[in-house]
Amino acid sequence: MNDGAVHITDLVKTYTDDRGRPTFTAVKKINLEIQNGEFMVLVGPSGCGKTTTLRMVAGLEKITSGTIAIGDRIVNDMEPKDRGIAMVFQNYALYPHMTIFNNMAFGLQLAKKKKDFIQDTVGRTSKALGLDQMLERKPQALSGGQRQRVALGRAIVRNPQVFLFDEPLSNLDAKMRVQMRSEISRLHSQLGNTMIYVTHDQVEAMTMGDRICVMKDGAIMQVADPLTLYRQPENLFVAGFIGSPPMNLLKGKIERRDGGLVFAETAEQNAVSVPLIGQVEALGSKLLDKPVIFGVRPEHLTEESKNGSHVPVASSVDIAEPMGSESLVYLKAGTGNLIARIHGEALYEMGQPLTVYVNMEKVLLFDSETEKVIR
Amino acid sequence: MSPQRKQFLRQLTAHLVLIIVCALVLVPLVMVILASFRKGNFPPNALWLSLDQWTLDHWKYVLGIPYREVMNATSGETRLIQAQTPPLHWFFNSILVASLASLGIILLAGTAAYAFARLRFRFRGPTLTGLLILQMFPQVLALTAYYRILSYIGQRVPWIGLNTFPGLILIYLSGISINIWMIKGYFDTISISMEESARIDGASRFQTFFRILLPMSAPIFAVVFILSFIGMISEYPTASVVLQDSAVRTLAVGAYSLVGEQEKLWGHFSALAVLSGVPITIMFLLCQRFIIGGLTSGGAKE
Ligand SMILES: Nc1ncnc2c1ncn2[C@@H]1O[C@H](COP(=O)(O)OP(=O)(O)O)[C@@H](O)[C@H]1O
Ligand SMILES: [Mg+2]
Repeated sequence: MNDGAVHITDLVKTYTDDRGRPTFTAVKKINLEIQNGEFMVLVGPSGCGKTTTLRMVAGLEKITSGTIAIGDRIVNDMEPKDRGIAMVFQNYALYPHMTIFNNMAFGLQLAKKKKDFIQDTVGRTSKALGLDQMLERKPQALSGGQRQRVALGRAIVRNPQVFLFDEPLSNLDAKMRVQMRSEISRLHSQLGNTMIYVTHDQVEAMTMGDRICVMKDGAIMQVADPLTLYRQPENLFVAGFIGSPPMNLLKGKIERRDGGLVFAETAEQNAVSVPLIGQVEALGSKLLDKPVIFGVRPEHLTEESKNGSHVPVASSVDIAEPMGSESLVYLKAGTGNLIARIHGEALYEMGQPLTVYVNMEKVLLFDSETEKVIR
Repeated sequence: MSPQRKQFLRQLTAHLVLIIVCALVLVPLVMVILASFRKGNFPPNALWLSLDQWTLDHWKYVLGIPYREVMNATSGETRLIQAQTPPLHWFFNSILVASLASLGIILLAGTAAYAFARLRFRFRGPTLTGLLILQMFPQVLALTAYYRILSYIGQRVPWIGLNTFPGLILIYLSGISINIWMIKGYFDTISISMEESARIDGASRFQTFFRILLPMSAPIFAVVFILSFIGMISEYPTASVVLQDSAVRTLAVGAYSLVGEQEKLWGHFSALAVLSGVPITIMFLLCQRFIIGGLTSGGAKE
């Protein structure tokens, strides 16, 4: 019974209007296994169905088809309070007319717990969150960070199997966000509960998640741990979504030139062409003359050539953003732009010619049509 | 023109306008108050009473206190006067009817507004529009129908028939669509996430409504209550048709009966009119402390 694993099977959500006619399918038959104690992040652009999915797990939204199980119980038709979940909302959703104490105690009071128990539980939790000095205040008298901590406390007090977070940090300022981020991570390692965390911010996803589920248009694009997502994205969408600045993507095809294989950008003039070496060459030999997308991350474009794994590309500097120990350099190359993250404190001038070296070990090729990675 | 002079003229104009507006409000009030203290039954028409014109007779009549009235000025003959049904009685009738009906309206309109704002059901939109359209026909148009209906009910269930307060309240409760709209509009501005949060915390729909949504909506309920209350204290057409026995009249109906065809007791009428302002003022002061902003602030960030 103490199992906080969440099994989502063929889950579909179609919104309907007042008359019950379908209007929009927000979640399209997704499958997701979340282990007990796992910190799972749902990430994706706005409108991709993250909130909808989370709300179905919470029981706030009716399930159109498919099943959700928490532990070994199918919870499709269970009231939220019986599911062993607690939710932290994006807008805090505190009860404005109640004191902080009552905000946190409300659920326990409804469950008819003993007064001593409530005092004790709320007292302990509020202390751990640094809220014990403001229990008699109303939410209005608290700062944004404190309010979100109250919301967190209210969830903890419920002692749930599964915590659900819907963009809990997006209303906080940047500094507070970083602080709360580590606080939630610490909470996870202390409590060890399953947590499902929705965000549109890939940095939050990468730093917090044990595993990350990337969604787009109501479908799951890939589920993996952060490093795998970064190193081995399964498709173009994940490749472009994870990482900041995003991966450079060039359209073109593999051609044979002078006995070797090159990736040639599709362009009228000035097309970039990159000789393929190493494992990419082996891959490319199977894709001769096929349209592909060539992907390389900004951090895999360097200024100096190394041990034969790097190939040069001529370009000129468009804009450079020095950031101290490294610079983001926007390059004009071929028909479009490349972004390079270059280490060192060098300064770059606009229009300055620059040869960058592509680390071919890190290059990914994607099928133009299916947008899947080619392995 | 110097800037000071310009400034002075501007302020002068502003003050003049304000004084005129104040006078428009205050002059009739003063006239009515004076008429209620004036010997004889004169319509409110004076802004000044000379010392020998003052009397408390009208107020005694209204409050049901016996007093002597001079019948014949030459012989000095007097008679003792006491109202059979003291108008004060109508005053309490009005307060009773207006309070109960306003409470009923809040309860009915509040729950209906909840349904329209928070539940999804077939014909929700059309029903809502329908309510508004229905409300456009003045209730007065249906007076004869109300009369027939109440007399019909009264023959079977006497305590809801004509000349009963429940009968009148029932009619008042039928005119609440504008209130439903107002309250629904307010609910729509309150983020639903607090109620969802309560649901996760284990609150039933009723608990959510009464313990979460209602306290946050106190201002709109105070406004609806006070508006209904004022409306019903001064409502005449319906009350005059339903309540015809002197004992059950409301203030408005009773006051009107004082200035009937044969006899126009303007002094009594004025005293009663001033008196009718009292419950409205008290109710307003009571409700005012609920009509404050910021009740929902701190709960949800939009
Ligand atoms: N109540 C609703 N009725 C109809 N469509 C909705 C409703 N709620 C959300 N949607 C749509 O479903 C899609 C997914 O919404 P949501 O799950 O909130 O996205 P996310 O949280 O990933 O930004 C969006 O396109 C949104 O417009
Ligand atoms: Mg969302």
